[in-house]
Amino acid sequence: MKWGSGECGEAEERRMEGEGEGQERLNQAVQQQLNLKQVKSRAESLSKAISRILEDFDVYALTNTTPKWQDILGQYSMVNLELFNIVDDMKKVSKAFIVHPKNVNAENASILPVMLSSKLLPEMETDDTSKRDQLLQGMQNLPIATQIDKLKARLDMIAAACEGAEKVLADTRKAYCFGTRQGPAIAPTLDKGQAAKIHEQENLLRAAVNAGDALRIPGDQRQITTTPPMHLADALPVNEAAQSFPDGSNLFMKNTPMPSNMGGQNSLLQTSGAQLLGRSAASPSAATSTTTFDNTTASPIPYANSPRSSTHMMNTPSPQQQTPQQQQQQPSVQQQQQRQKLMQLPQQQQQQLLAQQQQYRQSAMQGLGQLHGQHQMQFSQPLGHQQFQGRQLPSGHVQHGIGQSQLNQGNQMTRLSQFSGPANSALFSAAQTTPNTQMIPNISGTLSSQSLLPRVQFGLSGNNPQRSHASQMLSDQMFNMGGGNPGGMMPIQQQQQHGSQAFGSMASNAQNLQSGMVTLQNTQQNHPNFSQQRQQNPQ
Amino acid sequence: MECVVQGIIETQHVEALEILLQGLCGVQRERLMIHEICLKSGPHLGTVASEVRLLCDLEQSEPSWTVRHIGGAMRGAGADQVSVLVRSMVESKTSKNALRLFYALGYKLDHELLKVGFSFNFYRGAQITVTVASINKMLKLHATDEAVPVTPGIQLVEVTAPATSETYTEVASAMSSFCEYLAPLLHLSKPGVSTGVVPTAAAAAASLMSDGGGTTL
Repeated sequence: MKWGSGECGEAEERRMEGEGEGQERLNQAVQQQLNLKQVKSRAESLSKAISRILEDFDVYALTNTTPKWQDILGQYSMVNLELFNIVDDMKKVSKAFIVHPKNVNAENASILPVMLSSKLLPEMETDDTSKRDQLLQGMQNLPIATQIDKLKARLDMIAAACEGAEKVLADTRKAYCFGTRQGPAIAPTLDKGQAAKIHEQENLLRAAVNAGDALRIPGDQRQITTTPPMHLADALPVNEAAQSFPDGSNLFMKNTPMPSNMGGQNSLLQTSGAQLLGRSAASPSAATSTTTFDNTTASPIPYANSPRSSTHMMNTPSPQQQTPQQQQQQPSVQQQQQRQKLMQLPQQQQQQLLAQQQQYRQSAMQGLGQLHGQHQMQFSQPLGHQQFQGRQLPSGHVQHGIGQSQLNQGNQMTRLSQFSGPANSALFSAAQTTPNTQMIPNISGTLSSQSLLPRVQFGLSGNNPQRSHASQMLSDQMFNMGGGNPGGMMPIQQQQQHGSQAFGSMASNAQNLQSGMVTLQNTQQNHPNFSQQRQQNPQ
Repeated sequence: MECVVQGIIETQHVEALEILLQGLCGVQRERLMIHEICLKSGPHLGTVASEVRLLCDLEQSEPSWTVRHIGGAMRGAGADQVSVLVRSMVESKTSKNALRLFYALGYKLDHELLKVGFSFNFYRGAQITVTVASINKMLKLHATDEAVPVTPGIQLVEVTAPATSETYTEVASAMSSFCEYLAPLLHLSKPGVSTGVVPTAAAAAASLMSDGGGTTL
């Protein structure tokens, strides 16, 4: 409407000016006050400003950038102000003019009747009267002057209330430093000391969250002394005591200097550890093994030879379910899980197994030499357990590599039952199914310093008519441990070394290991890979 | 993958931040109490040490476990242009046996912390999660009841949003435009880049916390 009135007024004035000479001239004063030229220039500049703003918006829309709202608001307020001023000036002089439309088109058609009328529209008139009645409700009967006074008083009250509100707003703005439209006042700064303190704290916090600094408890304090909270009560494994790094960073530092090709050795060692867990027996040297085995043969497990013994093995509960029994000798970090597995074995066997494992471990350590054996073994045991547990091992025995002559089937079964941990339970079950075919040649995967003879030793020489040939034995299914490395393993079997097939699986890494293993090349191919059946024995 | 930024705020302004977030996000806040256990693998598990985080949500009556692996951050020219950190992250719900499983695998406890605070989860160009929490450490192993704040006067604000390698630019821009709204109270930056506190924080917090103070007409 504002624009409309301005437009029409302008049109009218121009027309009048055009005909000014011929007709009555505008009053000079009015004309001066109107100052048409100035109004025109102002209107033109205003329209330019508005179009500029609109162009900016278009650019924003095209480039998909976010507009700077403060600038835009500033420009808008300027435009708004200017328009208001123009219209205000026009309004002052518009009383002198009436609307005389020259050009009626679609835009004007609806407005013109209202603008030309001197009387209100009927609806507007009723509205007006009703509002007036509402206003003068109590004062109809009073004289006019009183009415006027009362209305004035009301106006004054309203004005005072508005002023009070404005004051409160201004005060609040000042108190909260909102600042004027030009932007915030000088931002309050922290003093240097406080800023530095906060900076320090911030670094501490960020480091704690992202890297865990300042959160690590030293090893000696890592024992769980208090009862763990509810959510951890059953989440923590039993005998968890030494699950944490003694000092995590140090451990990594120790291990990282090791060359990367040691990785194979690591895995090898792991597997040796695994073997210790899972195998029936590991006897590092024939001599010692002889003695140990002699000991074991003297005390067979009850029902050692019966089919039930293996099922007994199989049905043993997992270590997690067992209650911890008294620990055997040589307690060491990471031995606890292993101990749990041993628990089901009778005492003597446990001791023997542990002893053998220690022996084996020591020999393995010597063989590798460079590694921090303790760590390796410790780590490997859980892993080994993991590997064996639940594996679907096809039939196979783990043979104690004692000597060819020392084994016969009966003894072998005995020993197998004796020494296999729960990890090998599946192995035993498979073994049970084919009692005649279970000879596993000793495969020792360790890199011991002892010379490795490229010969496969079979425990049952000649006893098993089906498996008399080395190649046949090697290709026996039991070597398929599953999850195997097709690369060929560490086959190796030495008389001195004992390894179960499990070793073979890890052995793929061992190929790049030391020169001592060179002799294994032959047997590697022959060695039954976990995932392949060995076809022939080039031996 | 996820986009993540972090910032700090003084504890005294946390309530104001909550009000601001409530207004911006339009969702209810969720309380947060998470016991985060960081596990590192031993040297036998591969040549590179890996790190896994187990998060136990203690807020519910039944604690729920999540396992999370945070990978390396995106690098390169593209990474420098975005104002958020884009990194690979894999997360999964898991049973409570996760801890035992990882111990059995050979992972070891590296550190643990307790996050107590609140979080907002909403959609604004991307599925954004804002977490405001105080980080607490436990002096005794797993003693979550006796946790003390690492920095008593400062809490951590973390804004994360999941992303993929194709969408991370949009997610990053959605996140940064959201973070602009928080500018009066705190600045957010890539983890590892320190920001300091914002000088207008006090005033902004006061204005958010004020109840008007006007006289009745």
